[in-house]
Amino acid sequence: MINTTVNLGGIKMKNPVATASGTFGFGLEYQQFIQLEKLGAIIVKGTTPAPRQGNPPPRIAETPAGMLNAIGLQNPGVNKVAGEIIPRLVHLNTPVIINIAGDTVEDYALVANKLDGVPGVAGLEINISCPNVKKGGIQFGSDPRSAAEVTRAVKAATKLPVIVKLSPNVTDLVAMAAAVAEAGADALSMINTLLGMAIDVDRRKPVLGNITGGLSGPAVRPVAVRAVWQVYRAVKLPILGMGGIMTTRDALEFILAGATAVAVGTANFVNPRATIEIIEGIENYLREQGFNNINQLTGLAHAGI
Amino acid sequence: MALLVQGEIVSHMERAPGVFMVEFIAPNLATVARPGQFLHIRCSEGNDPLLRRPISIHAVDRDRGRVGILFQVVGRGTALLARRKDGVIDVMGPLGRGFSTGSHNLMRAGSIAVVGGGIGAAPLFFLLQELARCGDPARVKVLLGARSANQILIKEEIENLGYTMELATDDGSVGHRGQVTELLLKLLPEGVSYVYACGPAPMLKAVCAFLSEAGIPGEVSLEERMACGVGACLSCACQVKAAGGGVHYRRACVDGPVFPAGEVVW
Ligand SMILES: Cc1cc2nc3c(=O)[nH]c(=O)nc-3n(C[C@H](O)[C@H](O)[C@H](O)COP(=O)(O)OP(=O)(O)OC[C@H]3O[C@@H](n4cnc5c(N)ncnc54)[C@H](O)[C@@H]3O)c2cc1C
Ligand SMILES: Cc1cc2nc3c(=O)[nH]c(=O)nc-3n(C[C@H](O)[C@H](O)[C@H](O)COP(=O)(O)O)c2cc1C
Ligand code: FES
Repeated sequence: MINTTVNLGGIKMKNPVATASGTFGFGLEYQQFIQLEKLGAIIVKGTTPAPRQGNPPPRIAETPAGMLNAIGLQNPGVNKVAGEIIPRLVHLNTPVIINIAGDTVEDYALVANKLDGVPGVAGLEINISCPNVKKGGIQFGSDPRSAAEVTRAVKAATKLPVIVKLSPNVTDLVAMAAAVAEAGADALSMINTLLGMAIDVDRRKPVLGNITGGLSGPAVRPVAVRAVWQVYRAVKLPILGMGGIMTTRDALEFILAGATAVAVGTANFVNPRATIEIIEGIENYLREQGFNNINQLTGLAHAGI
Repeated sequence: MALLVQGEIVSHMERAPGVFMVEFIAPNLATVARPGQFLHIRCSEGNDPLLRRPISIHAVDRDRGRVGILFQVVGRGTALLARRKDGVIDVMGPLGRGFSTGSHNLMRAGSIAVVGGGIGAAPLFFLLQELARCGDPARVKVLLGARSANQILIKEEIENLGYTMELATDDGSVGHRGQVTELLLKLLPEGVSYVYACGPAPMLKAVCAFLSEAGIPGEVSLEERMACGVGACLSCACQVKAAGGGVHYRRACVDGPVFPAGEVVW
């Protein structure tokens, strides 16, 4: 018997594969292609206190082996998410994690508080790393003290497990991770998108309506694997690794670098069955390589280094 | 409910310079597809270009279980797609809300105008197939526009379905010299009661303005860049009028790509 269950800071997952926030809607959109019940966890779109319209189009641009997005946290607001959307997911035997965002520390605490005790919510992922909104987001994600403050406020506002999602757009990622760990985070997730930009040479204008956007997809994978590797060595919190995972082998890179679980984002757009194929692929790898527990692989590439 | 299909390519033709028609086998897709819906097509086998490309369903042959697409090479994705002459094509679909071809449209008194600009003719052929099946081609007027005579697409196929049509070209090499919208403007007072349109944004903008002025209903198919194609990523936002006044973003991939002409904000 192979054991693929993992514990991500108090969130029990039947396998280590989740969907990345913002790339999987509220899950329902993908039911036509996969059984949501097979997923390790579903992480839904960033939720803010009030509804948000998002940024003007065009909101995406394709770049070499990747894409830029500037959605701008379009979402229906926490009341609608808690009242209308989560109830449609509550029957699933898969943990649902809500990604939360805001402009101020109070915003984060408010959303966290409103989701506390809502049936069907297994945990929160704090997005302090969104590059596409003017205030908040990235601002908290680039200063260790602000990041710690948001983490403490959210922890105080909820009993749910709290995952803090880190931005790669910082000079010292390890310092950020250490600060939020110290402030009480139950787990870390990394990486959010890398700040980037593309210019349309024919129109001689930025491609995105928002001018800059977040880079995701295979292009960012080496940066993400490095981030997981460094943080794993410095901070003793479970890590949810993501960034450009398309296949089983990509997911295994993250786990070997130190991730307890992984999230699949952009790959869903290309192959809506990517998550399921990766879940099956990891099981096959374990079997073929003679492991009986996924947790044996976490951080294994560090052995002897 | 969309399908994931690996369809075997059975024909591949360059129909006009840089415009390709590809037909593949997909019986289930052919059965459920509706006019105006689109497919999300993988153009490369590797990670570059990464995203699928939205391409309309151009024609459906339910008896033989075949689906056709008609596309113009404009960049890397479509260039790669054009090079694939045999083997399989990886498509997701049918996606989106297509044209409404219900009886409420076909029962209206007056005639129906179907207006296409350039490659925008692609989804209109499937619409015309469907209108011919459940309506009367004599009541439908087809207006097609393009830059030049050799860019007028699928004229014979449309005539074979029993439709009459009028053409417009920028250079006057065939039909009216000028915009296809000028043909529409002339036709509207002659008892047109419903309009379907697909084409470049400036053309659709003009169509919507004419319809609003004349008080005639219709629907237009919009293009936005898409990532997921299924409503999950919010990449394809387009502004439409909200029910209670004001405007809001809708997703072109699931709330569209076809929208009522009166709702689109230009
Ligand atoms: C619902 C829908 C149905 C479509 N149906 C057809 C069809 O039947 N036949 C056809 O030829 N084309 C169709 N298109 C347009 C087609 O998707 C784009 O031409 C294609 O994605 C371009 O890919 P590329 O890699 O070749 O070009 P890229 O290198 O990606 O881009 C080349 C140029 O095309 C523009 N472009 C890219 N993506 C889009 C897009 N989604 N919409 C508008 N412009 C874009 C870019 O701004 C750029 O100027 C449709 C688009 C949508 C949204
Ligand atoms: C279209 C899109 C929307 C996203 N929205 C969010 C979001 O709302 N909150 C968040 O924390 N991350 C968001 N992300 C970031 C992803 O969750 C993920 O961290 C990133 O894309 C890297 O993973 P990937 O390369 O597998 O996509 C978004 C990414 C994309 C592509
Ligand atoms: S393309 Fe993802 S929501 Fe429309």
